This record gives sequence, C-alpha cells and structure tokens, in this order.
Amino acid sequence: MRLLTHNMLQCHVKSCNDPALNFPLQFQEVELEQIEAEENEALLLNLVGKIDWPALVQTTSELGITGLPPTKPDVVKNDPALMKRLHEILLETNVAQGKMVCRGCGHSYPIKDGIPNMLLAEHEI
Amino acid sequence: MVNKPQPRVLAEPLTDAAKNESEFVHDVYNQIAPHFSNTRYKAWPVVESFLNDREAGSVGADVGCGNGKYMGVNRKLMVLGSDRSIGLLEITQGRGFEATLADNLALPYRSDRVDFVISIAVIHHFSTPERRLQAIRELVRILRPGGQALVFVWALEQKGKRKFDQDHQDFMVPWVVPRNTASVSGVQTEAEVPPPEEAENDRVFHRYYHLFREHELETLITESDLNSAVEIADNGYDRDNWYVVLTKRIPE
Repeated sequence: MRLLTHNMLQCHVKSCNDPALNFPLQFQEVELEQIEAEENEALLLNLVGKIDWPALVQTTSELGITGLPPTKPDVVKNDPALMKRLHEILLETNVAQGKMVCRGCGHSYPIKDGIPNMLLAEHEI
Repeated sequence: MVNKPQPRVLAEPLTDAAKNESEFVHDVYNQIAPHFSNTRYKAWPVVESFLNDREAGSVGADVGCGNGKYMGVNRKLMVLGSDRSIGLLEITQGRGFEATLADNLALPYRSDRVDFVISIAVIHHFSTPERRLQAIRELVRILRPGGQALVFVWALEQKGKRKFDQDHQDFMVPWVVPRNTASVSGVQTEAEVPPPEEAENDRVFHRYYHLFREHELETLITESDLNSAVEIADNGYDRDNWYVVLTKRIPE
C-alpha cells in the first residue's frame, strides 16, 4: 500500500463519524518499503490538489519521514526538489506490514503483505 | 465437453443476503481465484475506452477489481483497486497495483475524492435491490463532483454461450475448474499437489448472480435518492452486459 492510498482512507465504522478523529488513521508497527515508480508529473500535480496536506505531514512525521513543508506551498510545479520528494513519499513509499488504528474509536485495520484489510463486522456498518 | 453445467434458477429468494453472498460469492471467488484469474486478461472495449478517455494523472477507484486486469490499461492513471476476495487481491498486489480488501457496501475511502470509478461485473452479485443500490451509492459518494462512474452488470437478455430462463433473474451460475488444474486456492507449490481423486474430476463451484433486465440498472438509480446526485451520461449493451456511465452532479 502506497502512502497516497493511506491519505484517501478513513475509519468508516458507522458510529465513528467525527471528522477530526476518523482521519488520518495512525500507522503502528509498520514495515516500510521503497518501490520505484514511473514518474508522472500530471498525477503528482493532481494528487497535490487531492490529498489532505496536514494529514500527510502528520503521517510522515509519525513515520519519521522528512522533507515536506508544514503547509501546502502555493506552487509545487516549479520546485523540482519538492516534486521529487512528493514522488518518493506518495508513490514510492509502501507499507508492507503493520496496522492502521483509528484515533476516534480505536478500530485497528491490519496490513498484511501490502494489502490493508478494511472490512468491518456487520454491526459496525 | 460433455454435460457442461448450466445456470440454475434460484426458486426461493436468498433468506439471509449477507450470509448467502458470503457463501456464494466471496468464498467461491477465494476458492477459484487462480483459475478464474487465468481466464481474465482481455479488456472489454467499452471499459478500455472509458479508461483511455480519462485525463492523464487522474486518480480512480476500481471497486471489485478482481485480479486487477483493468488497472494497468492506461499507465497515465493511478487506480486504487479494492475487492472482497483476498485470493484475487493477492494476485493484484503481486502485479504491483494498489489493492485494498473492502466491502462495496461500506467503502473505506473518503467522500468526493476520486476522479473516476469503475465497477465491472460486481453489482450483480448483491442479492437485494437495496443492497445493489447501496453499492452504487458508495461508488457515487467517493466520486468527486463532475467525476464519472462506469458500471457494468450481467444482462438477462444475453446472447452468448449461456442461456438464462427469461422468466427469472436470480441464478446460481457454475464455475468449472477443469480436472488436472493443480490448485484452486492459495499459492501453488510443488508440495501442494492435490490428492489424485480431486485432480481426476472437474470441480464445480456456484456463484450467485442477479441478472439485470434492459433499463433495470438506470431505473434502480433514477427512482432512488441518487437521481438528484448523478446524471446518466451514457448507457448501452456490450459483451453480455448492460452498462451505464454516471456523472456526479456539481452542487449549484
């Protein structure tokens, strides 16, 4: 699972609907892996508009990943160093093992062999 | 081939939708995953052109991605794949695609996010109209305003190799894993050669399908709360399926 996917996921337990707490999910006991990805400038620029920047900054800082400005820069395109760093973080940083825990309800979503398990029990839907 | 098993009409409705879908959809796909995947490599033309028409750099969701056969069609896109079958997702993940284990009735993605969604041969596995509608509602929820969803479902009126009793819509459809196919579940290793009595016979699994009549898919949407959320941009018939393209309305 790439970090870009994590930025799109939220805790979706029905009773867990406080947007301040159900996103972003907190990584725990993770094993990271860098996997080379094709460069795609159009995708990177689209992602910058789509991702939640504060959530990305919080998540990377919890994982010990550096190199992102704390607030989203107005223009990313003309900053090749930042574009490269975003490529490495969003598209090339993969979570191989671990779990994602909701800060609201504590629900834990396991990640095994790169596949997050986002299934809920019947009573949580 | 002799006595190819035919689809069987489901005389009684399924009593416990969730339990029966679990047994006749999720479990079956996990068991037939490697063989099913080997037969699923050709892209359908309407799906292919929908993907090739997306703007470069678009981010989409393939909900019910199976073995990921559509995820690499257009390399300029980023597709987030999800499925209910871990057996199929392991194949998708092994190909280097994004794979998430998720339930179409309660998707884990944030709302109004992705540029497009594809749902190819998925909605017909839900066994009540409300569950089929809820699955489509989730596709629309995650779509950004202005984004499009392509939904394909099996047609009752199909003219292909399978024949369906036109008076019914709910069927159990056999999937045959031919004899001598070494493994039907999990990763095949040399140590896992199946016992001879299994390998000598075809193995037949049954999947639940609701076959859609012409316009049923559009009506399901337009006669629901979704009517105010989406516009039907296109619809048609292709490869034994009815399909619809939905555009999520931009709030005024």
